[in-house]
Amino acid sequence: MTKFIFDLDGTVTSQETLPLISKHFNISKEINKITKETIQGNIPFVESFIKRVHILGKLPVDEICELLEKTELYPQIICFIKKNKKNCVIATGNLDCWVEKLVKKIGCLSYTSNANVENNHVTKITQIIKKEDIVKQYKNLGEKVVFIGDGNNDMEAMRLADVSIACGLTHKPAKSILTITDYLVFNEEALCRQLNQLL
Amino acid sequence: MSTTKSVIISCAGIGSRLGLGQTKALIDIAGKSLIRWQLELLDSIKDIRIVVGYQSNDVIKEVLKIRKDAIFIYNHNYFETKTGASFYLGSKDANEYVIEWDGDLLVHPEDVKKCLQMDQEYIGYSDKVSDESVYVKTNNEGDVLSFSRENGDYEWTGPACIRKNKVKYTSGNVFNQLEEYLPMKGLKIRAQDIDTYDDYKKAIEFIKSWQKK
Repeated sequence: MTKFIFDLDGTVTSQETLPLISKHFNISKEINKITKETIQGNIPFVESFIKRVHILGKLPVDEICELLEKTELYPQIICFIKKNKKNCVIATGNLDCWVEKLVKKIGCLSYTSNANVENNHVTKITQIIKKEDIVKQYKNLGEKVVFIGDGNNDMEAMRLADVSIACGLTHKPAKSILTITDYLVFNEEALCRQLNQLL
Repeated sequence: MSTTKSVIISCAGIGSRLGLGQTKALIDIAGKSLIRWQLELLDSIKDIRIVVGYQSNDVIKEVLKIRKDAIFIYNHNYFETKTGASFYLGSKDANEYVIEWDGDLLVHPEDVKKCLQMDQEYIGYSDKVSDESVYVKTNNEGDVLSFSRENGDYEWTGPACIRKNKVKYTSGNVFNQLEEYLPMKGLKIRAQDIDTYDDYKKAIEFIKSWQKK
């Protein structure tokens, strides 16, 4: 079976989630700077993630979760995922407690980073996702793995996947992934066409 | 063959023989880039697949001005490989039938339609027009019997249409991929491929010839 592993932010969602949170809580300047540097690969993902959680973890978890539930999604991609639920998974660096409702809405299995929550606040990151591990896991099961992503933190997963698709739907994909990707698309229709051809 | 076809345009090469210092997709012919001429003539095709390599960013930028829904395929080994590798990569996850279209090929608009409408596998060839070519030998029905670097009845220009699963990997040329399936149906077209500066000048004249009518 073909397994499609989707990055979440900017790939399945047409808005980046972290800037959405920071805008809502009026801390955009601080967060956007780190996000931008991370997407371009100037700050290692793990370092950037810890920094961002350090800032955003003080905010109420339930409010973030409800806010992210409303993140705009790409309708054709969602339609593909819903139609091929068993073939699709989401792999996101985002914390489980923040994206719980959003991934539930998307409807397929998801892999996230994890954190402890106390009194509605993030107290400790317990696990930071390595997307390449998800690719390995499915490859070991004998699946043909297709990885769809746009950021520097998708690089290793894309390198390991049987087929990699770089997405320029929301913003330009990170330059690094263009050195290893098989495919590049800039349009939702083109992406879904390619996904259907890979089924 | 009622299934949808994909068109694979191979634009990964360096275009070194032409000597204009850029990949052939981007050369200006009568006011338009070569890739624009191709994409405008192929606008009825839904699955347009562009294989990129040398100057990929510039080619992608140019294509996006015309077709936002194109799928780009990277041939990261463009320096070590030829069009056969690009065709393989472009075909791999395409529709059941694939039409190979070289990034340096101009086909007369009336014949583009013929190529797209043809409901079976075929090999496209033209009267001999280029300086350095591969030729095809044909039988009385116009079927392609063999390819040759030395001589033949017509010039191999492409396009060629073939079932996707027949396209095997080669670091060589597309005609090498087709050889094992010969004889194949031939389709005579008016075309000009651009390998040398002389071909480039002929291409400008070729476009003028169809624009006059």
